[in-house]
Amino acid sequence: MSTMSTPSPKESIARRLAPVLTLLLLASLMALPLVVTDTYSLHFIWKVLFWAAIAAAWNIAGGYAGLFSLGHAAFFGLGAYTSILLYMQAGVSPWIGMIVGSLVALCFSLAIGLLTLRLRGSFFALATIAFAEVLRIAVVNGRDVTGGSEGLSVSFAPGLVNMIFQDRASYVVLMAAVLFVIGATTLLIERSALGYSLAALREDEDAAEALGIDTIRVKLIAIAISAFLSAVTGTLYAFYILLIEPTTVLGIGFSVEIALIAIIGGMGTVLGPLLGAILIVPLSEYLRAEFAASLQGLYLLIYGTILIVMVVFLPNGLISAIRDPRSVLRRVRRRKSASSRPEEKADA
Amino acid sequence: MTAIYIQLVVSGLLLGGIYALVSVGLTMIFGVSRIKNFAHGDLVMVGMYLTYALTTWTQLDPYLLVPVVTVALFGFGLLLSFALIRRIQGAPQVAQIFATVGLGLVLQNAALMIFGADFRTTNSEIAGNVLRFWGISLPLSLFIAFVVSMAVIACLTVFLRTSMVGKAMRAIAQDRRAASLMSIDVKFIDMLTFGLGTACAGLAGALLVPLYPVYPTIGANLVLISFVVVILGGLGSIEGALIGGLAIGLIETLSGFFIGSEMRQMAYFLVFIAVLLFRPAGLFGQRGSETLGS
Amino acid sequence: MLEVRHLTKRFGGLAAVNDVSLTLNKGEILGLIGPNGAGKTTFFNCVAGAMQPSEGQVLLEGRELTGKKAHDVCRAGIGRTYQIVKPFGKLSVRDNVLVGALNQTRNVADARRIADEALELTGLADQRNVLAASMPLPRRKRLEIARALATGPKILLLDEVMAGLNPSEVELAIDLIKTLRSRGIAILIIEHLMRVITSVSDRIVVMHHGEKLAEGAPSAVMNDPKVVEAYLGEGFVAQD
Ligand SMILES: Nc1ncnc2c1ncn2[C@@H]1O[C@H](COP(=O)(O)OP(=O)(O)O)[C@@H](O)[C@H]1O
Ligand SMILES: [Mg+2]
Repeated sequence: MSTMSTPSPKESIARRLAPVLTLLLLASLMALPLVVTDTYSLHFIWKVLFWAAIAAAWNIAGGYAGLFSLGHAAFFGLGAYTSILLYMQAGVSPWIGMIVGSLVALCFSLAIGLLTLRLRGSFFALATIAFAEVLRIAVVNGRDVTGGSEGLSVSFAPGLVNMIFQDRASYVVLMAAVLFVIGATTLLIERSALGYSLAALREDEDAAEALGIDTIRVKLIAIAISAFLSAVTGTLYAFYILLIEPTTVLGIGFSVEIALIAIIGGMGTVLGPLLGAILIVPLSEYLRAEFAASLQGLYLLIYGTILIVMVVFLPNGLISAIRDPRSVLRRVRRRKSASSRPEEKADA
Repeated sequence: MTAIYIQLVVSGLLLGGIYALVSVGLTMIFGVSRIKNFAHGDLVMVGMYLTYALTTWTQLDPYLLVPVVTVALFGFGLLLSFALIRRIQGAPQVAQIFATVGLGLVLQNAALMIFGADFRTTNSEIAGNVLRFWGISLPLSLFIAFVVSMAVIACLTVFLRTSMVGKAMRAIAQDRRAASLMSIDVKFIDMLTFGLGTACAGLAGALLVPLYPVYPTIGANLVLISFVVVILGGLGSIEGALIGGLAIGLIETLSGFFIGSEMRQMAYFLVFIAVLLFRPAGLFGQRGSETLGS
Repeated sequence: MLEVRHLTKRFGGLAAVNDVSLTLNKGEILGLIGPNGAGKTTFFNCVAGAMQPSEGQVLLEGRELTGKKAHDVCRAGIGRTYQIVKPFGKLSVRDNVLVGALNQTRNVADARRIADEALELTGLADQRNVLAASMPLPRRKRLEIARALATGPKILLLDEVMAGLNPSEVELAIDLIKTLRSRGIAILIIEHLMRVITSVSDRIVVMHHGEKLAEGAPSAVMNDPKVVEAYLGEGFVAQD
C-alpha cells in the first residue's frame, strides 16, 4: 500500500489532503441530481453509485482483509429479503428493516467467519460460495415466505417512510449517501489500528500474529463491517427496483460481479471500487444496448477477459495505473523477463 | 421395495464415478501446480458442447467421438496453460482465484454466444438401451460413463506411479523447489498436468452428454461439486477424489429421493461445509495440509 | 522468568525437539546453539505459540503459556524474530514497526512514537520511509528486531539475527543486544557464530538432534567434549 508510506514532505501534505479530497468527492456525488435531471441519466448514475457502493463494501473484506469472498450476494440478499419481508408482512418501515437486515447479515457473516476463518485463502472463497448457495437454495424452496424463484415484488407506494420515492433523484441522493458512508468507514479503518493490523496480516499472517495481532478477530471485524454495509446496499436496491429474485440477488454471478468491480478498480483503496464502477457500468450498458439481441453474453465475456488481464498484469487495479503510470510499464516488462525466472521461493 | 434402494445406491455410485473423474482432473492440477481452477467445471461444459457440436455435424454416435473430444480438450488445456495458467503460477491468491473465475466467465459466455441459452440434448443409439438386473433398471449410458471413468482413473494412478512423467509430477507435488533442483522441467510438467486435468474434464463432459442436456452455466454446478469432492477426499489425492466422488454421488441421489430434488444441492453443500469445519484436510488428506490453501 | 519444562515437538515420527527444559532469568542473555537441524527454531516456535508443542510446559513468570496462540504469547510479553525474515514488504519500515507497537497501544499516533523510538534504537531511523521489501537482508534482520522490540516485550527470542551480516554489522548487533539487556529485557538468542554467542551470552544451552546436550557458562560449554564432538560431526568447527 503506497498510501501508507511517507516518502517526502511534499507528498506528505498531499497525503494529508487526500482523505479530505476523497470525502469531498464522495459527498459531491449527492449533488449530482442538481445537474442531471432526466430519468434515464439518473437511473444510470444510480447504477454506477450502486455498484460502487456494493463493491466498496466487498472491498473492506476482500481488499483490506484479504478475504476473497465469492458469496457477498448472501449478505446483500439478506439485507434485501429481510427488509422487504418485514415491510410486506409486518408493515415495518424499510429504514428499520434496513438496520434489522444488516444486523442479520452481520450475524450470518460472524457465523461464517467463526466457522471458516481458520481456513486460508481460496478455501475461504469456496466456503463463502457454499454458504451463499445454501441460502439461495433455501430461499428458492421457502416459497411460502420468500416467494420462491419468482421472488418478491413490492407495490409502488411512495413515501419517505416506505423508502419509495416518486422521483429518481431521491434514490440517487440516497445511494450517494450510502457510498459516502462506506467510503468514510473505509478511510477510518485505513487510518486506525485496525487498518494497520489488516495491512500487516495481508502481507504475512504469521508475522502479524507474532506481533500480537489476533488475526482471526481482526478478520471477523472486517467481514462483519463488510456484511453490514453490503446488506444496507441490499435494502436500498430492493426498494428502488421493487423486485428481488434469488438468482439475481443471491446468485454466484452477482457475487463475482461485485468482486470484479472492486478488483478492476483497485482493491484495498478507498476510490478503487468507484473507479471500477465508473468504467464497468457504462461498458456493460453500452454492450448490452448494442449487442443484447444479437450476441447475448458478450458483455460478460468481455468482463471475464478484462478480469483476467487485470489480475495478471495489473493486480493492484486501475487506480494504481492512475497513481503511478510508469509502474504499469515496469510491471509488464518485469512479466516478460519473469518467464525466465526460476521457481518461486518455497517457505521453510 | 428393496429394489428401489438398490437402484438408488447403484445409480448414486455410478453418477459418483463421473464426479470422481471430473474431480481427479481438479485434484491433479492442484496437487502438482497448487492452482485451484475455478473454471474446471466450465471445461467439462466445453467438453459437452464439443461433443454435441461434433455429433450434430458428423451425425456420428457421441461415443465414437469421445476419444476425439478427450484429445481436443488435452490440447485446449495445454493452450490454456501456456496462455494463462503459467502466468498465475506462484502469483498471489487473488490472481489465482480471479484469473480462473474470469476464465470461467469467458468460457460460459462464449458458449452462450455460440449455442444460446437453450438446453441441448444429444441422442445416442447405444445409450438408448436400458440395463436390467436384480430388479433394477439403469440407463446404459450411465453404466458406460462409470466404467470408462473408473478405467481412466485406474490408468492415471498407474501412470503416476510408474511413468517418468508421473514420477516427476509426484515429485513436484511433494516439493516443488527440490524437484526443480533435481533438474525436473517443472514448467513443462505443469503444462502437461493442466492438459491432463482438462482432458479428464473433457472426457467426463463427453460421457455426460448422452445423460444430461448441456447449457452454458452447467459448469458452475460441476465445479462446486468437484471442489466438494476434492476437499472431502483430501486435496491432491487421487484415491481421495475417487472415494469422495462416489460418496457425493450417493449423497446426491439419496437426498434427492428422500428430501426432494430441489434440496439435493443443499445436501452436498452442507456436507461441504461440514468437511471444511471438521476435517479441512479432507477425510483422507493429512491433517495440517489445509494451510496449503494459503 | 521464562521456564520451559520438558518441551517435546514431534513431526510425524521425528522428534524435532525432545524433552528440552531451560530457564531464562531476569536480565539474562541465554545463548541457544546447535548444529543445523538441531531443533532450535522449532523450540522457539513452540515457546512463541507459532506451533503447539506435543508435550511439555511453557511458563512466563509462573503463568502458563503452553498452547497459547502466538498473539497471546506476544501480549504476555514475549517478542520474537524469524530466522527467515518476514517483513511486511509493501509497508514502509516505520509502518512495519508501528504494527508491532500496536501491541502496546491502540492509538496510532502513540504507536508511531513508540515505533520511532525502536527505529532510533536499532539504527533504522533514516530508513523509516523506505518500503521494507526494498531493503537489503542485514537491514531486514534489524527490522525484525525493531518490530519485536516495539511490541514492548519482557523477553526477546532472537533467531539467527546475525547470520549474513558482515563483521562491522555484527559488532553493531552485539551492541544492540547489550543495550536491550541493559533496558531490562531478557534475551534468548539462537546464533550460529560461535564467537558472537560466547561473547554475548551469560549462559549457553547446546541442542543436538532435538535434545539438550549441555548447559552452562560459555567457556565450560565450549570445552565440553560432548559439544566438541557434536560440532565436529557436523563439520561445524571450521565455521569460526
Ligand atoms: N513444519 C515442519 N514440519 C516437519 N518437519 C519440520 C518442520 N519444521 C522443522 N522440521 C524439522 O525439524 C528439525 C529441526 O529443524 P529446526 O528447528 O529448523 O532446526 P534449527 O533451527 O536448529 O536449524 C529438522 O529436521 C526439520 O527438518
Ligand atoms: Mg533455525
